[in-house]
Amino acid sequence: MSMDKPPPPLMALIGGPQGAGLETSAQVLTVAYATLGYRVLASREYHSNIIGRHSYILLGVDPARVPRGHRYPVDVASFMDAESVFTHYKDVDRGSIVFYDSDVDNVSLERIVSMETETKRRLRRELEELGVEPTVVGVTKYMKSMGVEVVGFSYRGLLSSLRREYGIGYAEARRYISMVVAASVAKLTGLSLEELEEGLRYRFRSRPALVERNMAVARRVYSHLGNVAQIALPEPQEPPDHYMVMTGNEAVAIGKAVAGVGLQAYYPITPAQDESFYMEAHEDQTGIVVFQAEDELAAIAVATGAALTGARAATATSGPGFDLMIEGVGWACINEAPVAVTLYQRGGPSTGLPTRGSQEDLLDAAFAGHGECPRIVVASWSHEEALTDAVEAQNLAEEYQIPVIHLLDKFLANSVATLPPPMTTSFQIRRGSIEPRPGSDYRRFALPGPVSPRAFIGDAVMWYTGDEHDEYGHITEEPETRIAMVKKRFAKLDEAARNIPEEGVRLHLYPEDADPSGLDMLIHSWGTAARVTAEAVDMLRRRGLRAALVRVHYFSPYPSRLLSSIAAEAHQAGARLVNVEHNYTAQAAKIAAMKSGVVFDTHVLKYTGRPIYIDELVEALMAIHEKGLKEVHLGHGA
Amino acid sequence: MEHDPRRYRTPLWVDWCPGCGNYGILQAVTETLAELGLPPEKTAIVSGIGCSGKTPHYVYANGVHTLHGRAIPYATGIKLARPELTVIVEGGDGDLLGIGAGHFVALGRRNIDLTVILHNNQVYGLTKGQASPTLPYGVKTKSLPKPNIQDMINPLALAIASGYTFVARSYALDIKHLKSVLKEAIRHRGAAFIDVLQPCVTYNNVYTVHFYRKALYRIEDEEPDWDPIVRSPDEETEKKAAALARAQEWGRRIPLGIFYVNKTRSPFEHRIAARNPLYAEHPPANRLSREPQQQPPYTIEEVMSIFKDRLVKVKTRNARRSGIPSSRDRSPEES
Ligand SMILES: Cc1ncc(C[n+]2csc(CCOP(=O)(O)OP(=O)(O)O)c2C)c(N)n1
Ligand code: SF4
Ligand SMILES: [Mg+2]
Repeated sequence: MSMDKPPPPLMALIGGPQGAGLETSAQVLTVAYATLGYRVLASREYHSNIIGRHSYILLGVDPARVPRGHRYPVDVASFMDAESVFTHYKDVDRGSIVFYDSDVDNVSLERIVSMETETKRRLRRELEELGVEPTVVGVTKYMKSMGVEVVGFSYRGLLSSLRREYGIGYAEARRYISMVVAASVAKLTGLSLEELEEGLRYRFRSRPALVERNMAVARRVYSHLGNVAQIALPEPQEPPDHYMVMTGNEAVAIGKAVAGVGLQAYYPITPAQDESFYMEAHEDQTGIVVFQAEDELAAIAVATGAALTGARAATATSGPGFDLMIEGVGWACINEAPVAVTLYQRGGPSTGLPTRGSQEDLLDAAFAGHGECPRIVVASWSHEEALTDAVEAQNLAEEYQIPVIHLLDKFLANSVATLPPPMTTSFQIRRGSIEPRPGSDYRRFALPGPVSPRAFIGDAVMWYTGDEHDEYGHITEEPETRIAMVKKRFAKLDEAARNIPEEGVRLHLYPEDADPSGLDMLIHSWGTAARVTAEAVDMLRRRGLRAALVRVHYFSPYPSRLLSSIAAEAHQAGARLVNVEHNYTAQAAKIAAMKSGVVFDTHVLKYTGRPIYIDELVEALMAIHEKGLKEVHLGHGA
Repeated sequence: MEHDPRRYRTPLWVDWCPGCGNYGILQAVTETLAELGLPPEKTAIVSGIGCSGKTPHYVYANGVHTLHGRAIPYATGIKLARPELTVIVEGGDGDLLGIGAGHFVALGRRNIDLTVILHNNQVYGLTKGQASPTLPYGVKTKSLPKPNIQDMINPLALAIASGYTFVARSYALDIKHLKSVLKEAIRHRGAAFIDVLQPCVTYNNVYTVHFYRKALYRIEDEEPDWDPIVRSPDEETEKKAAALARAQEWGRRIPLGIFYVNKTRSPFEHRIAARNPLYAEHPPANRLSREPQQQPPYTIEEVMSIFKDRLVKVKTRNARRSGIPSSRDRSPEES
């Protein structure tokens, strides 16, 4: 498709059934590349299932920076099973290398029981049209005919020799398949055995015997691939001394620790649960109390209760859980309680696509709840920002005494990136106004506000109620007090808007020095979709199209003024105003229209639960530019 | 002065119906706080929604009037974050056993050191008298158009089955008895539950003061050597069974008293401390100082050490490495 290949320089895909150790393969590879100084983004696609359904991981490797997204076709693909071969045969192209289990050569598409019926039907039709026999060998022949290098390896042969050598059963021997996959990718991308071993030592820290056995497997794969040409990777540029290799969930967990969070209450839900799990695993060193509540109604209540005593408190969830929390968000709002909710978006409505990503919950985060409830809404676009925003969410919650919704998505939550360790010296803890010596006449909601000096339960006497209340926190329905209190709560957002700059904080222009009046295309996006868009913008610019991205970082307080001035300039200069999002209804564009009067009337939307890929986005944007399309719906990705 | 019950009342006008049983509960609570000498700033009364939910506003101590059904989780957050506090939950029967029943059960599992007072009036007072989960089948109170077709929950049996380690019943208008039970409940280390029978003069014309005067009796009066306390784990089954049997009695005769106490189960706060060595000294409320501006609790080295499971040391193939984190890893558009 392309005149130039989109970054990252190396894209690898590994596929196999859920529960077969694919994550181990990815971790070993990620750490091996990171040890050499490479930046990696590894993203996992999986079903709502524990064992048996098809899953795959995309690894992008870049010598210069963390990849901002993934692209197809991939350069290397390594498959655990036959289903992976069928599922991904079109994800490779001329020059790609495929590694697979030659023992499944004769498996036909019909025999793959774990494959969804619709997928099978579609593949059957596709193969028929291509005149390809619906077996693994048929598909591999087709790939070869397309210029793909295909290398088979007998997994069964390896397994039986492992069983003999180590006296282990079939099930245990099968676990080494994850190493076959990792080693094949490592070898085909030029890692030495010693370099691969770094990844294994990280994975199996305290179990040298496992490292040794896996290395034996790796040596077999390496010698099998001895003569296959390798994909050359440019040398890494100026790597730091250390990387922290973390998922978005872990970045938020670490951010919360750095922010001094004292209590996290949660109820398990994909893709939020790993954050709390990771925090719990480090509870003994951080001291953070991680509390597994009986439901999300309780989780937000426990966190809010803790916040009233002076603890920094948080909860993390995804759509279904957030719905249950909404009444509690309203309570925190009317009680000016600082509580931060980390909301990871997945596909909805209802349980929807439980393990797939989306940006479908923006309007929910910004507006959900009865009554009028001011809140701060921040949406991160990268792992690094997920961490810094987790710290900032706590600061803003306490400074303005307001609930903060920190919006992320499954794409960030479950992908792994290589980050430099967080420079804690650059972070500040800002607790806002605290009453040093609350007296016996302490008024928690002292007017005029918008921020009354806060005292904590345990240091003074105060009252809280979900009813409208007076300065002490006692119930009132008196009209003048009502007016004062409603205004007080909303004035928080005005004050936040005065203090938090639009330029470079609430709104980001990319490239930073782009001149809005010299653009062919101004693209509006947010979160992970914006990150892929930034990459697409670079590609478009290389092709001579003057494109720029405006990324909304804060949806409340909204960067109305700056967005409308940038958009007006671009519009006047004749630029097309395009919007890119992971949903069907273009939610961020709706907020833009509502809050800044800017109408982005051309949309690129994806709601399959799979990430937007750089190549498909560039193609869509080019088509919009060349053919004037008004709406493109993306669909790539198994 | 500290021990003057008037000191524990706010000057607000109490807006319950004249003759409501809640007045008795309020009096018992304030007198108990006074007699135990609990400092108001170290005490929190947490309520749900309903007539009963207004109680905290009338007590001079921290008052947290929460959402319908959610008093227990808010109280949980307060107690876990600041374990030195005395935290009392007040909820209606609709609140604690209807909309909040999940939390009621969960508290038993955890045995957090909270005292839960059920204002049991068998009706949804504040929404004008619908049947609550404690109203028996077939009963028709004043504002019900037709007799109740749902069965009642037995609050004592539910509390015992859920794991509460102190379970008692008292009567809103027997202030002396209520106070003595309440004192025991507050002193108890673990989840304590008191089912307080509370006449609702406006909507409940079945379980009236007159009815209770005839029906109520004290367990000790009938069984002088009644001993509800589990002192070693092997007594638990037997004492539970006796308590559950006694709790079945409802109708013409209704027992009051302490049904069940288990001192062998560790409170939740100890369970947290056992796996989180920093908890006892630095509970969540004390992790940061009260300074408005401060440094994060960890240095970069500490972050790298705490989360060393995610740390990878870079060893490039050749030695041309600068050592300092490159600006590439902190892209300008993100800083
Ligand atoms: C989520 C929600 N649903 C319904 C209500 C309306 N509501 C207010 S009080 C109440 C019932 C209260 O009954 P109970 O808990 O027994 O308290 P009582 O008034 O009898 O003390 C209800 C249903 C509410 N406030 N919130
Ligand atoms: S309605 Fe019943 S419970 Fe509510 S205040 Fe009146 S008497 Fe008391
Ligand atoms: Mg009631």
